[in-house]
Amino acid sequence: MTDDTTAPEAHPPEPGLVRLMIAQPEFAPLVLLVVMLVVFTSINPAFLSITNIGNALTFTVELGLIALAMTLLMTAGEFDLSVGSLFGFSPVVMWALFNAGLLSLPVAFIVALLIALLIGFVSGMFVTRLGIPSFLVTLGMLLVVRGSALWLTSGFPQRTWDAGQQWLAEVLVGDFYVGSLRVYMSLIWFILLAFAFHYILTRTRFGNWIQATGGNPAAARNRGVPTQRVKVVLFMLSAAMAAFAGIISSIRVSAANPNSGSGYELEVIAMVVIGGTVLTGGRGSIIGTVLGVLILRLMRNGIVLIGVPGLAYNIFIGAIILGMMALHAALERRHNAGT
Amino acid sequence: MADDTPLVEMRRIEKFYGRVHALRDVNLTIHKGEIVGLLGDNGAGKSTLIKVLSGAVPYSSGEIFIKGRKAVLRSTNDAIDSGIETIYQDSALVPQLSIARNLFLGRELCAGPRLLGRLDQTRMNDVARDLLKRVGISKNIPPTTPIGSLSGGERQAVAIARAMYFDSDLIILDEPTNNLGVAETQGVLRFVREVRDLGHSCIFIAHNIHHVFQVVDRMVVMRRGTVVADDLSPKTSTIQDIEDVITGEHITI
Repeated sequence: MTDDTTAPEAHPPEPGLVRLMIAQPEFAPLVLLVVMLVVFTSINPAFLSITNIGNALTFTVELGLIALAMTLLMTAGEFDLSVGSLFGFSPVVMWALFNAGLLSLPVAFIVALLIALLIGFVSGMFVTRLGIPSFLVTLGMLLVVRGSALWLTSGFPQRTWDAGQQWLAEVLVGDFYVGSLRVYMSLIWFILLAFAFHYILTRTRFGNWIQATGGNPAAARNRGVPTQRVKVVLFMLSAAMAAFAGIISSIRVSAANPNSGSGYELEVIAMVVIGGTVLTGGRGSIIGTVLGVLILRLMRNGIVLIGVPGLAYNIFIGAIILGMMALHAALERRHNAGT
Repeated sequence: MADDTPLVEMRRIEKFYGRVHALRDVNLTIHKGEIVGLLGDNGAGKSTLIKVLSGAVPYSSGEIFIKGRKAVLRSTNDAIDSGIETIYQDSALVPQLSIARNLFLGRELCAGPRLLGRLDQTRMNDVARDLLKRVGISKNIPPTTPIGSLSGGERQAVAIARAMYFDSDLIILDEPTNNLGVAETQGVLRFVREVRDLGHSCIFIAHNIHHVFQVVDRMVVMRRGTVVADDLSPKTSTIQDIEDVITGEHITI
């Protein structure tokens, strides 16, 4: 034991503020977002107009809701490819039940969410109990869920135009004006859930377990952290959020199409990794994901406004992902160099 | 010692992995406040024995007594609750989490409503800062530092400090000096002695017999799944003697 009286209170070397900021995983996406805003606005000032921002934010949140849940799942070291299918499947279930007169809309909504939770539970059990990689499990689930949606509807969209009179529809996607900015309820949901998930990940015991489960599963298990239960819960959460987002989308566009959401899983994962969450787990950031969501949406919106053909969108997204991964890898190497 | 009841007593432990007879009639006694070196060649049964004692694998037959009471170790949590903490080389800490969060991993201090599980970050940091200062390591490292930016020796110290904080009677160290530099190794060895002086017992497993020699009170040697010597003292044996017992070159006892 050292003697306290002889040891002067040593202070840690204070890293510079700039270095501290650069070390944050959210730093790179933030810089990218600012650069995009500047470039797009200088080429076409309409980019920063109230109407454009309002539109961009509306469509953003549906994928963004899934990205929030995916962030937690990926921090725990797993990911879910079935979210796009659930995005299409869950509204189909809800509207089919409602249109057939079997259930009221709110009850059909809850049933659709419960089915999604069950699907997430099954994926989670396959991954944790059978030890099958989440890539394979959720790829299989993607096909099962998409197939179910197509089979249930014979491939035809479900009609949703009765939604107008429903209070549930108002709560999920109703709109109101702040000045001349039209705000949809879905944006409010996104903001509330972003705060809630950020809080869970950084300030709660469950968040600590999520990070430990992804960071060093053996160490977490040795300390009695129920790593398998953590993963199952997160698979359920991501499935439920995909269902929630799909239902919101179906009400907004007045169509529950069994094909909607195809390819969304990859766009969501792109949003999350651009935001600095590591695919292999252990480190994740909701703030980063929100930035990633904005980057992808504004990129899609911006390149059209500045006259780049919309079909070239994927080139930009792919380049951003590659660039961001290179940057994160470089920062990670520097971070680990001292150990 | 007030009484002579051993801290841990393993009696006639047998372990089969399928048809492999991994442990044969193993008897091992650990007393309070002693550091026991566990030695043996690869495949001698050291790690199986440790896994049994830490609740990670079930034993096929035999009995384990902790402080004179028969114990059932079905899981690592059972072992931890019985006061046995095992510090594995690579699976002790989560590199992405801070020192304080690693210290309390799985036993987090919370505030507010139980269901929410809000971490009491201030209290955890205070305890961690105090503990770091008390154990004489990392005096100038804040408790919010991620484990990933600590050196190997500091990580060992944090893991051992955690076992001390939760009042483990027996701390099992699996290759604690592996991959450490000379100064770091000395630091860890010094720390292990301090832990012993505070009344904790240790089982020290290392391939490097020199390290074991510097710190242990007694050495136990295993060969082919069984204990071949359990009372070798570093005071009366030479490293050559021990090596001979490990390899079975000639029998000194």
